[in-house]
Amino acid sequence: MKKKLLSALLAAAMVVSLAACGSAPAAPAPDEVAEQGATEEAAPAADAAEATVTNADTNILRINLASEPDYLDPALNSSVDGGCLAVNSFAGLYTYNENGELIPDLADGMPEVSADGTTYTVKMIDSVWSNGDPLTAQDFIYSWNRVIDEQTAADYAYLFDVFVAKSDGTLAVEAPDDHTLVMQLQAPCPYFNDLLAFPTFFPVHQASVEAANPDGDVPGKWAQEAGFVCNGAYTLKEWNHDESMVYVKNPNYHDAANVTMDELHFMLSADDTAIYAAYNSGDVDYIDTVPNDEIASLNGINPEFGILPQLGTYYVCFNVNDPMFDGKTEEEAANMRKAMSYLIDRQFIVENIGQTGQQAADAFIPAGMSDGNGGEFKAGVSYYDAEKTGADMVEDAKALLESAGYSFTDNGDGTYAIDPAINMTYLTNDGTGHVKIAESIQQDFGALGINIEIKTEDWNVFLEDRKNGNFTVAREGWVADYNDPINMLEIFTSDSGNNDAQLGKGTPVSSSPKWDEYNNMINEIRYDTDLAKRVETMHKAEDMLMDTGAVIPIYYYNDVYMQKSNVSNIYATVFGMKYFMHATKN
Amino acid sequence: MAKYIIKRILLAIVSIIIVSAITFFVMNAIPGGPFNKEKATSQQAQKVLEERYNLDKPVPQQYILYMNNLLHGDWGVSLHSGRDIWGEISSRFSVSARLGGMAAAVAIVVGLILGALAALTRNRLPDRAIVFFTTLGTAMPSFVLATLLLLVFCLKLKLVPVWSSSNPNYTLPIIALSVYPMAYITRLTKTSMLDALNQDYVRTAKAKGVPAWKVIFKHALRNALIPVITYVGPMVAYILTGSMVVENIFTIGGLGSSFVTSITNRDYTMIMATTIFLAFLMVIANLLTDIAYKFVDPRITFD
Repeated sequence: MKKKLLSALLAAAMVVSLAACGSAPAAPAPDEVAEQGATEEAAPAADAAEATVTNADTNILRINLASEPDYLDPALNSSVDGGCLAVNSFAGLYTYNENGELIPDLADGMPEVSADGTTYTVKMIDSVWSNGDPLTAQDFIYSWNRVIDEQTAADYAYLFDVFVAKSDGTLAVEAPDDHTLVMQLQAPCPYFNDLLAFPTFFPVHQASVEAANPDGDVPGKWAQEAGFVCNGAYTLKEWNHDESMVYVKNPNYHDAANVTMDELHFMLSADDTAIYAAYNSGDVDYIDTVPNDEIASLNGINPEFGILPQLGTYYVCFNVNDPMFDGKTEEEAANMRKAMSYLIDRQFIVENIGQTGQQAADAFIPAGMSDGNGGEFKAGVSYYDAEKTGADMVEDAKALLESAGYSFTDNGDGTYAIDPAINMTYLTNDGTGHVKIAESIQQDFGALGINIEIKTEDWNVFLEDRKNGNFTVAREGWVADYNDPINMLEIFTSDSGNNDAQLGKGTPVSSSPKWDEYNNMINEIRYDTDLAKRVETMHKAEDMLMDTGAVIPIYYYNDVYMQKSNVSNIYATVFGMKYFMHATKN
Repeated sequence: MAKYIIKRILLAIVSIIIVSAITFFVMNAIPGGPFNKEKATSQQAQKVLEERYNLDKPVPQQYILYMNNLLHGDWGVSLHSGRDIWGEISSRFSVSARLGGMAAAVAIVVGLILGALAALTRNRLPDRAIVFFTTLGTAMPSFVLATLLLLVFCLKLKLVPVWSSSNPNYTLPIIALSVYPMAYITRLTKTSMLDALNQDYVRTAKAKGVPAWKVIFKHALRNALIPVITYVGPMVAYILTGSMVVENIFTIGGLGSSFVTSITNRDYTMIMATTIFLAFLMVIANLLTDIAYKFVDPRITFD
């Protein structure tokens, strides 16, 4: 009897352990950095339909965005969560309001633009750094030239390519007086005002930067611990690495009177379980990571769960130089890839894996992106019917593959066998969402007898293999840095480090697309003075890209969050920047 | 004794050098690199960084440069965040060591008491209960236990916050860290205590009329300690350097998660520093274990 009881209890304990091992959340996130080091276990269940507990500290907002940021120096940061910290603690010339509209921050009104669109003059208001030092136009000139300095090795230095460079390599930006900046651009730049609101364009305090690192070998040293000089709504008062950050209101911020929240406390964690538990226990007021398994029980049920639009595309990418395409003509290889694109059931992926109302993608440039000439770029552009791809397009896919030299025999159960056989490896990183998408695609391809094997790799190896073209087909994603299609189209120039499709680079095979024309188009777009013509060229470039079939858009990203019922006035931009300074809590 | 310790220290230095060399070459052999990002770093920036951190040189030369800097007390900076490695290790170790020290103390004290108690009440209720819980404790992975603790004490009973910026609570992580070693120590103590209790010298002591508590503590328990010490030494070193799982679930900035993330990030300087640091702690722990034998059992000689 005793033995039976003991074994029953042990069995129960094993079931508990197994249940906890079973599920593994992590939605396919655009920014994988936050996922690193996260453990994957089941999240404690909460009763989703009921409002969760709130805390009563109305002057403190508690937030989780991610784990420890690598850099708080706005010049060196390249992550979205680091960008969120920057917009709340630094102020640039412009910022965004709650409607997503660009408004002046340190600028006094909108820029004055010359008739040819290449000279921008911005007047600045009086403002000071958090230590009381006056902030002048010279601070901007120093900060921007610091970003492009080779020794700074900033990821986002290329954003400054829009400026004319002087003969000494510095930017053609002048300060006729302490409160005026005159900037020379290479060509009219429709998104230039957006750049002026981007964290990399925020000023840094020269004396602090130079004092912390006189040798210049560790450029971000000045902002590695709490207490550094900044000029935004909050200053960092306390930083317990990998635990918490405490930001307090900066009394010297020029708009301090309108900062409604006194303190921001950040939970530094990337562990889904811990984050969701902290939210449910009322220890955190705002989170932007929700375990994938919980989404179905929250979306549309709990009013605290929200979805934000984002400008980005989740896509699958073929390596055009893969031996699989050798021996084919350029058109045959493109038809093979397009056929496989037709086979993917995008609606299934969006509804059952994404689960947050993502829009199935029928073009590479996402819906909602501006065309730089007053319109939406995506309007009227569709390369296939994204609601139909999958089972409804098997015959179209079959026809394309037949045109590329393949033949089929009917298996009699609605599927076909393909001859010669196609076997390939689909490369992805760990992350349940990514693997589930791969499995869905694997099943879709089965309709025409195409075999794919799913290979998951460690994040770092995955990035390297993708970059070097050591794959046949891989999962990809891109979230725009600014609201212009060029940001996404220029990924695929021959000299781009992000051109994983290997278009126009690497060791070509017989079917590798000729790519000079694309490179030329991108150059033309960069320096075009006629904005209407520029839009036309961008459409041509997207057509050319989609025509290769190398890029297979799956869906357009969005971003989820949870916010307590007693919190309001937090807002975000489509680039993922979140503004907390005007939040209120009751 | 002094001669023995000097010999051991010299051996320790050799083993640390071997560990560092193996780690350095293996780490450079695995694919990936410290500057790989979803949005690729420009070739120009990559070149500047590689030159700055000597990554453009052949690996053996890099190793010599690294060891030379290390001999001069320079651990370098993290390739990932530019932070000073020594500052990073010492601040994170102070967190892990505080947490791990408490967990180790709980595990040793409770483990010894429960083990002795189980041996003395063999096959009776306390023994049965202890066996049951120690079996559970050794079988349950720490992430299950940590998640369970979070669910029960933070979400259901609301006794401690899941996370707090002002006043982090270490009770739950200490429990999560100490349960496994505690259960293990209990079982070890019980087995060797039972063995000791059956020895002739215990019977003799009892026959001489030595009080029961003295028999237990002075004669039986002391002799039962040797296998426990063998386990405790490396266990303490291990527990002091933190656990990634427990640190992640309870949002603690210890050394454990740095071990793992530095490998994911291919943060070479951080990988080297954490490995050398752990190797150093292990060597010290083993040395102290050997010295402790001598105190527990004077018959042991080091020659």
